[in-house]
Amino acid sequence: MQLGGQGSGEARVPQLAPGCDPARLPLSPAEGYLLSRIDGRTPWSLLRQIGGLPAGEVDRCLERWVSEGVLVVDGSASKPNPRPSKEEEGSAAERPAAEAAPGAAQASSGSLPTDESLEIPVEAQERILEFEKRLKRPYHEILGVPVNADMKAVKRAYFELSKEYHPDRYFRRKIGPFAPLLARIFKRVVEAYELLSDPATRAEVQRNAVEPPSPAAAAANEKAPAERKKKLPPLHLHAPQLRALAERKAKAKGFFETGMAAFKQGRWREAAASVRLAIAFDPWNEAVKEAFGEVQYKANEERAEQLLKEANANLDLRRVAEALPLFEEALHYRPQDPEVNHTTARLAWLAADDLKKAKEYATRACELRPEVSSYRRTLGQIYKAAGLIANARRELEAALRIDPKDAEAKQELRSLPKK
Amino acid sequence: MGRVIGIDLGTTNSCVAVMENGQPTVIPNAGGYKTTPSMFAISQDGKRLVGHLAKRQAITNARNTVYASKRLIGRRFDAPEVQKAIDLCPYEIVRGPNDDPRVRIGEKTFTCPELSALILREMKRVAEEHLGEPVRDAVITVPAYFNDTQRQCTKDAGKIAGLEVLRIINEPTAAALAYGFGKKREEKIAVYDLGGGTFDISILELGSGVLEVLATGGNTFLGGEDFDRRLVAHLLERFQEAEGIDLRADAMALQRLKDAAEKAKCDLSTRDVTEINLPFVASDARGPRHLNLEVTRETLEGLVDDIVRQTIKIVESCLNDAGLTREQIDQVVLVGGQTRMPLVQNLVTELFGKRPHKGVNPDEVVAVGAAIQGEALLSEDKNLLLLDVTPLSLGIATFGGHFAKLIERNTTVPVRKGHIFTTTRDNQSAVKIRVLQGESETASENDLLGEFVLSGIRPARKGEPEIEVSFDIDANGIVSVSARDLATGKEQSIQVNATGTLSDEEIQRIIDENELYEVQLKE
Repeated sequence: MQLGGQGSGEARVPQLAPGCDPARLPLSPAEGYLLSRIDGRTPWSLLRQIGGLPAGEVDRCLERWVSEGVLVVDGSASKPNPRPSKEEEGSAAERPAAEAAPGAAQASSGSLPTDESLEIPVEAQERILEFEKRLKRPYHEILGVPVNADMKAVKRAYFELSKEYHPDRYFRRKIGPFAPLLARIFKRVVEAYELLSDPATRAEVQRNAVEPPSPAAAAANEKAPAERKKKLPPLHLHAPQLRALAERKAKAKGFFETGMAAFKQGRWREAAASVRLAIAFDPWNEAVKEAFGEVQYKANEERAEQLLKEANANLDLRRVAEALPLFEEALHYRPQDPEVNHTTARLAWLAADDLKKAKEYATRACELRPEVSSYRRTLGQIYKAAGLIANARRELEAALRIDPKDAEAKQELRSLPKK
Repeated sequence: MGRVIGIDLGTTNSCVAVMENGQPTVIPNAGGYKTTPSMFAISQDGKRLVGHLAKRQAITNARNTVYASKRLIGRRFDAPEVQKAIDLCPYEIVRGPNDDPRVRIGEKTFTCPELSALILREMKRVAEEHLGEPVRDAVITVPAYFNDTQRQCTKDAGKIAGLEVLRIINEPTAAALAYGFGKKREEKIAVYDLGGGTFDISILELGSGVLEVLATGGNTFLGGEDFDRRLVAHLLERFQEAEGIDLRADAMALQRLKDAAEKAKCDLSTRDVTEINLPFVASDARGPRHLNLEVTRETLEGLVDDIVRQTIKIVESCLNDAGLTREQIDQVVLVGGQTRMPLVQNLVTELFGKRPHKGVNPDEVVAVGAAIQGEALLSEDKNLLLLDVTPLSLGIATFGGHFAKLIERNTTVPVRKGHIFTTTRDNQSAVKIRVLQGESETASENDLLGEFVLSGIRPARKGEPEIEVSFDIDANGIVSVSARDLATGKEQSIQVNATGTLSDEEIQRIIDENELYEVQLKE
C-alpha cells in the first residue's frame, strides 16, 4: 500500500483507508462535508473545487487525513484499468460484502500468500489474487471490456476469462485456498457475462456502471457525514436488484403490450388501465408515458360517449334531474365540447336552478364557439334569470348580431326591463 | 496419471473411447465391434452374459435377458415410464424396497444401477484389454434430460463397476466436444441426437477452445425404438390380415419380429425396399406358417413421419430458448443411429437450411466426446474447456404453492444466484425454505431436494422483512442453499446432496457381490 500516491497531483484520487470508520473522527461539519465527497473516484483536483472549503483548506485537510492514515491515495482510478490497482482494497473493504463467501476468501484480499508447493503456477496464483481484488468493480470492468462493448466482445472476454478461471482448469489438483477463490471469481465472471449479454438487464447494468456517484448530485441532498455514508449510492447495483429491476421492466412491458392490444381493438378504458400499470412498474420509460397520453384521451372519449348516451336517454324520458350529473361527468372527460357545455348549462339553469354553474358552462360554450347564436342567447337568458340585466342585454344583442332572425333572442331582449 | 476413458452408456448400445497420442480413439471389443449392445443375460446354465453374447441368445432366452434398462434407472416404480416398460418387456420388473424398479432373473433381483454397472464393467474391460493396463477414471454420458436422481444412479453404477466417475456429461454436449475438438473457429452448433430410446437437442457455442452450452431440450420417450415398434405393429397387422394369426401374445415371435423390424429399418436407410423373412414364426391347423413381407422406404416413412416431425418441433423450441434463429446455426451434428434414416436427415436439412456435418460417426461420437472431456479435465495444457449447464431449474416454494425459480435450467455452472423474498403475515418470525428442482410453476409438481427454517426474523408488517435466498452450485453439481435476514444478518443454510435410489451400504454390498462373480468368471 502506498501512501501519498505515486501519481501527479492532478490525477491523484484519495479514498478512505480500509477499516476506517469516518463517523468516529472528530470532524467539523465542513470537514465532514469534504470527507463525504471522497468516494474513491473523485480526484484531488476536483475535490478542491467541490469540497465546500477554500482550495488551500482542502489540501490541508486531505494531507492531514493521509498522514493520519484516514485516506489512501492512488493516481490510477481516473480511467478504467483492466489491471487491478491498489485502490481496490480500500473500496472492497468499504462496501458490505455482497456474498457470504468461504471464510478464507473474504479475508484474503492481498493477504493470501502465493505458495510454491501448490499445483498451480505462482504467476497464476498472482493473477488470481489480483483478479479477486476487482470483483467488486462494475461488471464490464470485471470482464475487462468497455462499458458499451458489443455482445461479441462480451462473449469473447467471457470465454477467455473462463479458460483461465474455471475451476475445471485445476481439476483434481492441490490448489488449497485457491479453490474457493477460483469458484468465487468464476461465478462473478458468469454473473457479469449473463447480465451484460441479456438484453433485459444489459441497459440497466451499463447505466449503473456509467453513473458514478456524482459530486453535484450528492451535494444536493446534504447530510451529516455519518448519515451520508449510508446513503452513498452503491458503485453498482447487485445482481438481485438488477434482476428485480429487469423483472419490473418485463412486467411493465407485458402490461404495455396488453394495453396496446386492447387499444387496437378499441377497448380504450382497458387499454388505459393497463398502460397506467405499466407506468407504475416502469416509471422511467418515456415511450410508455407518451403512449399513455393518447390512450388516456381515447379512454376519456369512450367514457364520455357512454355518459352522454345515458344522459340523453334520461333527457328523452324527461328525467332532467338524473341527466344533469351525467352531463357534468361527461364534461369532466370532454371539457372542450361546446355542445355538451351548452346542454349542461341549460340543464343547470332550468332543472337545478344553479345559475352560477349554468353561467360557467354557457360562458365556456361561447368561448369555444363564439359564432353560435344559440349559445349567446342561453348565456343571455341565464344572466337575465340571475337579474344581471346589462349582461343579459349584451349577450342577447350579440346573439342577434350573429343571427338577426333569432326570434327567441328578440323576444328575450324585448322582455328585459328598459334601461 | 492413469488413462481416463469416455463411456457412452446407451439405451441400446454402448461405446468406449480413450485419448491416444492426443487423438481420440474408439476401442473395439473382442469381436471387433466398436459398439456393444447394452444387454445383460443369465444363460440357461447360470452364466452371466454381457453385450453381443447376451444379444445372440436374447431370442431363445427372452425372459432372462435384460435390455434398455436405462429407461428404468433413477425412476420410481410407479412412474408411467416404468409401467410402460413392464407392459413391453419380456423380462420381469419388480418393486424394490426403495420403491425403485428392479429386474428379477430367476432367483436374483438386480437394481438398475447394478444392471448399468454390468455394462460399464464390460466397457472398462474392453478398454483395459486394449490398453494393457488397469483403468480407473471415466467420464460417463447421460441424456441431457436426466434429472439429478438419474445422474446419481449412473454415478453409483460407475462406482459399482469399479470406476471413478470424474464427471457425468450430457450426450449431445459430448458430441459437440468431439466435433469441436481441435477447431479454433467461432461457431454455433446444433446437436441433433436421436438414439434408441431418447431424443436430445442441444445448442452450443464454440469459440477459442471454449464450448458453451446455450440450451438443451428433448424427450426421454422418443427414439429409434418407437420406430421399431411402429414397424412391428405394422408387420403384425399385415401378418394377421394374410394369415389370420395374431402374434401379439407370442413372446418369441415378437422378439423375432422386433429384431427383423430393426434390421429392416436399418436396411431401408440405404435401400428403397427390403424383405422380411421369418420362417416358422407360427403354426396352426394348416401347419407351420412363415412371415414373408416386403417393406418399402416409403411405407416406413409413412409410419414414423409424425415422430420425426415431433423432434423438429422440439428443435424449434430449443432454438427459441437459446435466443437464436435457425439461420444462425453454423453447423448441425447428427448423433445416434436413427439419424442415418434419410427422412430424418432430410427434415433436419430442411429445418436448418444446410446439410448436417458428415465428419463424425453417429454411433461413436458421444464416447469420443466423453474421452475428450476426461482428458481435458486431467491434462496439464488446457486446450478445451466445457462450460456445462444445469439440466433442470432450481428454486424454492413460495406462498400459494408456487415455484420461484432462482436458477433457470441451462445456467452455466458453477454459479451463485440470490433473490430477495419477504414474509406473508404480520409479525412472522420464521420462514421455511423448501428447495425444489423441476420446471413446473406449481411447487408440488417438482422434486423436493431439501428444506430448512430461518427463524428470528424481527417482528414487522408482512412484506417488510428482506430475506435473501442464495443458491450455489459448484462445478461438480453440488447445490447449497442459504437464507439470510438482511436486517439481522441471521443466516441458515443446507447442502443439498443428490441421492440415488441406493444407499451407500447397498452399493458396497453389490460391489462385494460382484467381486465374487468376477472370480467366478475367471475360473
